[in-house]
Amino acid sequence: MTMTREAKFARVVVELADTLVAGFDVVELLTVLADSCVEILDVGAAGLMLVSPDGSLRVMASSSEAMRLLELFELQAQEGPCLDCYRSGRRVVNQDLEAGNGRWPRFSSEALAAGFHSVHALPMRLRGTVIGALNLFHVEPGEMQQADIDSAQALADVATIAILQHRAALEAQVLNEQLHHALNSRVVIEQAKGIIADRQHLNMEQAFSTLRSYARSHNRPLTEAAEAVNDGSLSPSSFDHPPAKARSY
Amino acid sequence: MVDGDRRSRVLGLLIGSGDNPLCASRLCEVCAQVTGMSGAGIMLMSGDVPRGSLCTTDKVSDLIEQLQFLLGEGPCVDAYHQDWPVLEPDLANPQSSRWPAFAGQAAEAGVRAVFGFPLQVGSVRLGALNLYRDRPGPLTDDQHADALVLSDLVAQSVLVLQATAQPGALAAELEEGADLHFTVHQASGMVSVQLGVSVGQALIRLRAYAFSNGIPLSEVAESVITRTLRFAATGDGSYN
Repeated sequence: MTMTREAKFARVVVELADTLVAGFDVVELLTVLADSCVEILDVGAAGLMLVSPDGSLRVMASSSEAMRLLELFELQAQEGPCLDCYRSGRRVVNQDLEAGNGRWPRFSSEALAAGFHSVHALPMRLRGTVIGALNLFHVEPGEMQQADIDSAQALADVATIAILQHRAALEAQVLNEQLHHALNSRVVIEQAKGIIADRQHLNMEQAFSTLRSYARSHNRPLTEAAEAVNDGSLSPSSFDHPPAKARSY
Repeated sequence: MVDGDRRSRVLGLLIGSGDNPLCASRLCEVCAQVTGMSGAGIMLMSGDVPRGSLCTTDKVSDLIEQLQFLLGEGPCVDAYHQDWPVLEPDLANPQSSRWPAFAGQAAEAGVRAVFGFPLQVGSVRLGALNLYRDRPGPLTDDQHADALVLSDLVAQSVLVLQATAQPGALAAELEEGADLHFTVHQASGMVSVQLGVSVGQALIRLRAYAFSNGIPLSEVAESVITRTLRFAATGDGSYN
C-alpha cells in the first residue's frame, strides 16, 4: 500500500523530531530533511546550506553524495539561489535555469550540465534570524506547486527551530562553564592568600600582592600560581619579600 | 492563569526599568514578592556542593543559605541533586527527618515552610532557588507554577548577567550583594598551614568547629583571619 503524501509528511516530522532527542546531531537532522524532500516532494535533489561563523554559506547535507551535486552547493558560496535566499531571507522559487543564466551564469551552466532544469531555495529562518537555506533541484522544467513549496518550508522550519534551540543550549553550557570557572578560580586564589598569609605572617592584602607579583614576574596566570601554592608545588617562601608594612593586620 | 501570561508578568518584574536594571539582588526580591513568601535566596552550586549565595532578601533567608553551606544539606542542595522541586510545608513537624542538622536550626530561626527549586537551563544546572515562609502550609498550585517560571527565568538571568563579564571573571552584577564565602576560603588556607593538611580538609575542620561550637562559619573564619583563633595539630582550635 502506498502512503498518502500527508501520511509521508507526518512520518517525516516524527522522524525529524526523533533526531532531536539525546545525541542531537545537526548534520544528521539536515540529512533526514534533504532525503525527505526528495522522497515526498518529487524533486531530483535537495541540499542544505548553513551560514558559518565567518558569514559564508557551507554545505551541511545533501540527498546525494554525487560530486557534481556537491559542487553545485559549494559554488553557491559565491553565487546562486541559496546565497540570494540567505541574503534576502526570502524564497527564491521556480527559477528556470535556461532563463536564469544572466543572474547566476556559472551556477546555471553547471546545474544544467548536471541535468537540472529548475531550482528553488527556501530560507531557514526564525523571526529575524536567517541561518541558511534549503535548496531543491528539479530535473524536469516547470513550476513547483505551492503546496509542495509550503511543505518544504514547513520541514525547513522544524529543522531551523531545532538548530536554534540546540545553539541556545550550547551557549548556556558555555556561559555556565565560564561562571563556574570564575567562581572556582576565586576560591583557589582566596585559599592561596590564606596559605601565604599564615606562612609569611602577612595580612590578606599583602598576601595577594605577593602572589600577584610572583605570577607577573614569572609570567604565570594568577590562578595557576594559586593552584601551585595550594597543592604545595610552589612554596610561599620562594616569593619576594613583601612590602615593609608586613604584620600590620 | 495561562502560562505565557505568568511568564511575561514575571519577566516584566525582573527586567525592571532603565534606572532599575536587572541585577542579582532584585532576582530574590521578585521571587519572594511573586510567590508571596517571607523570603527568598539564590544558591549557586558547583562541583555538587554549595558555592555561595547570589542574594537573599532578609536575615532568615541568609541563614537558610549559610546553614546549607555549612552543613551541606537542605532544600537547595536536594533540589539541585534531584533536579526536582523539594517541598517541606511543615519544617517544625516534618514528615521525614531528611535534614537532621538543618531543620532544627532553621525552625529555631522562624522558618516554618521551606521550598527548593532547581535552577537549570536545559541540561545546564546552576544551583537552586530557596523560598521560605514563617508559617507552615503547602504552596498553592498558583504559587508552585510561579516558582517554576521564576526558577527558569532566574537561571537564564544569571547566565545573561554572566555573559557581560570579562573572561575568567565573575560579572560585577552577580558579585555585588553575593556572599561567596571568600573569607572562609582564606581561613581554610591559613588553617591548612596550621594543621599541615590540604585546604579541603582544613575547610572540613572549620565547618566541624563552627557546627560543634554553634558559631556561624563566617565568624569562625573572621577569627582565624584576625589571628584570634588558631588551629593546632593536636586538639581543636583554640583562641589566642
